[in-house]
Amino acid sequence: MSLGLIAALGVLLLLVMIFARVPIAIALAASGLLGYAAIDGWGTALKMFGRVPFTLASAYSLSVIPLFILMGAVAARGNMAKELFDAVNGVFAGVRGALANATIGSCALFGAICGSSIATAATFSKVAIPEMRRHGYDPAFAAGAVASAGTLDVLIPPSVLLAIYAIVAEQSLPKLYAAAFVPGFVLAGLYVLAVWSVAWLRPHWVPKVPGMRLAARLRASIGMWKLAVLFFFAVFGIYLGWFSPTEAAAVAAFVAIIIAMLTGDMGWRGLWDAALETAYTTAAIFFIVVGAFIFSRFIVLTQVPNELAGWVKQANLGAGWILFAVMALYLVLGTFLDEVSTILISVPVTLPLVVGLGYDGVWFGIFVTVMCTIGLISPPTGMTVFVIQAQHPDIPVARIYLGTLPFLVADFVLVGLLVAWPSLVSWLPAVLKI
Amino acid sequence: MASACGAAAGVFLLAMMLLTVADVALRAATNQPIRGTFEIIELLLACTFFLALPAVFLREENLVVDVIDPIAPRWVPRLRRLAELLAVPVLGAMAWEGWKAAAETLVFNDVTSDLAIHRLLYWIPVLFGLIGAAAAAVAMTFRNNAE
Repeated sequence: MSLGLIAALGVLLLLVMIFARVPIAIALAASGLLGYAAIDGWGTALKMFGRVPFTLASAYSLSVIPLFILMGAVAARGNMAKELFDAVNGVFAGVRGALANATIGSCALFGAICGSSIATAATFSKVAIPEMRRHGYDPAFAAGAVASAGTLDVLIPPSVLLAIYAIVAEQSLPKLYAAAFVPGFVLAGLYVLAVWSVAWLRPHWVPKVPGMRLAARLRASIGMWKLAVLFFFAVFGIYLGWFSPTEAAAVAAFVAIIIAMLTGDMGWRGLWDAALETAYTTAAIFFIVVGAFIFSRFIVLTQVPNELAGWVKQANLGAGWILFAVMALYLVLGTFLDEVSTILISVPVTLPLVVGLGYDGVWFGIFVTVMCTIGLISPPTGMTVFVIQAQHPDIPVARIYLGTLPFLVADFVLVGLLVAWPSLVSWLPAVLKI
Repeated sequence: MASACGAAAGVFLLAMMLLTVADVALRAATNQPIRGTFEIIELLLACTFFLALPAVFLREENLVVDVIDPIAPRWVPRLRRLAELLAVPVLGAMAWEGWKAAAETLVFNDVTSDLAIHRLLYWIPVLFGLIGAAAAAVAMTFRNNAE
């Protein structure tokens, strides 16, 4: 049997198991083991199978993931989301679409400390959707705005997804974080434009809310101080050379706990719940990482990534067509896989292909992450959409998807900008000389 | 059982954070970081991840693609049982091979470079987590059968 056929059968087996409700981690590990054994024999395959969990679980670079998740879990319990929403609302108040734009702005900033789309969407669906509905916003649009804005945090540093990409693609995490800044805030800007477009086309969906006095705006903006402090430690600490990414995550999580406890927003019980939630989330993510590493060892053994890159070079296809194919692949994967699994499964195959076109691994990391934000809000398995629907069962899922449409357009505009101007990604790392 | 595993993992997670913060603080204040922080963090990370793994199975928090649920709801319980049964040999094989690799660290007296921590200590949480997760998958099969 040829290596290409074994690779195809391995991928097919993986997809069959995933669709048959086998946990993604188990499906990856099982298909990876069988494929590896088919090529290199059971002895070597089982040896690799037993060592991967140990190698990964004790890899220092991975410790950044639970620590950033802990910071987000504490921030979510520390009333920071509500204060942030009020502060950003103070900036936009009086303009049509103010509450939707406040949601986008606060999700972008909250995402900077949270790192989880699900947590951001869950938090803001409690804070922002009732407020928007109270002021007469269309429920589907309000839910769509929160679902979409919740995805901003996978792009805006410090992002857990980018940390995972850095590990699987062997890229510098500080460089990836610097590269993600501009596209992240451009996407937030495009979302604001999407809100204004809807306000112009469907004004009854987005009624005008009364403005605020200057004193009230200033009072509300003070609420941002907690987030500013966390952002300083979590992100600027790295670029000032004070901390490594793991140290920045630990210090920021520690500072988040101190702030939340000193301000009385979180007690010991809240801290314990945050630690437990982080432990469970981390274990679930790490188990997928273990499965994906086993599967990627099999894929590398088949030499499919190199063969594919060589074939594309020989076929002399235009870069645009290949990027289009890669985009289509991520759109398909995003319809049924979560963003972590998507990156872990696909990057070993797609990265050599795109690097062969002349793009670098950092640019591709941002590109893939943006594609994942699309997957998070597109049917049939937009994860943030389901999170919101669970909290607002009176808004049908199909209507929430409709509400996300203007923001999906904004996502695709950003993808176009990234392809047309790769310097959008490379500019800040170059300025910071990373 | 799930609570005990989660609690142990939570304690190791907080310890990992506190150790890193203490290391950074000491380095900044006295220019003397804690010796072997990397090695202890790696051990705490293994404990955090693997001690929580059985809890993930018991709480059914593994990530699953459930697009089939609305299409063929009658198949869901059977598929769930099949997935649990598949998890047992996968985790069992991982644990067995891990056990053999752990035994090798004893034979070769494999220790870390800085603090000379025996590598077997790193394997203990890994093996506990894998065997515990396999046992949790079996327990879930029985529980779902009973239901």
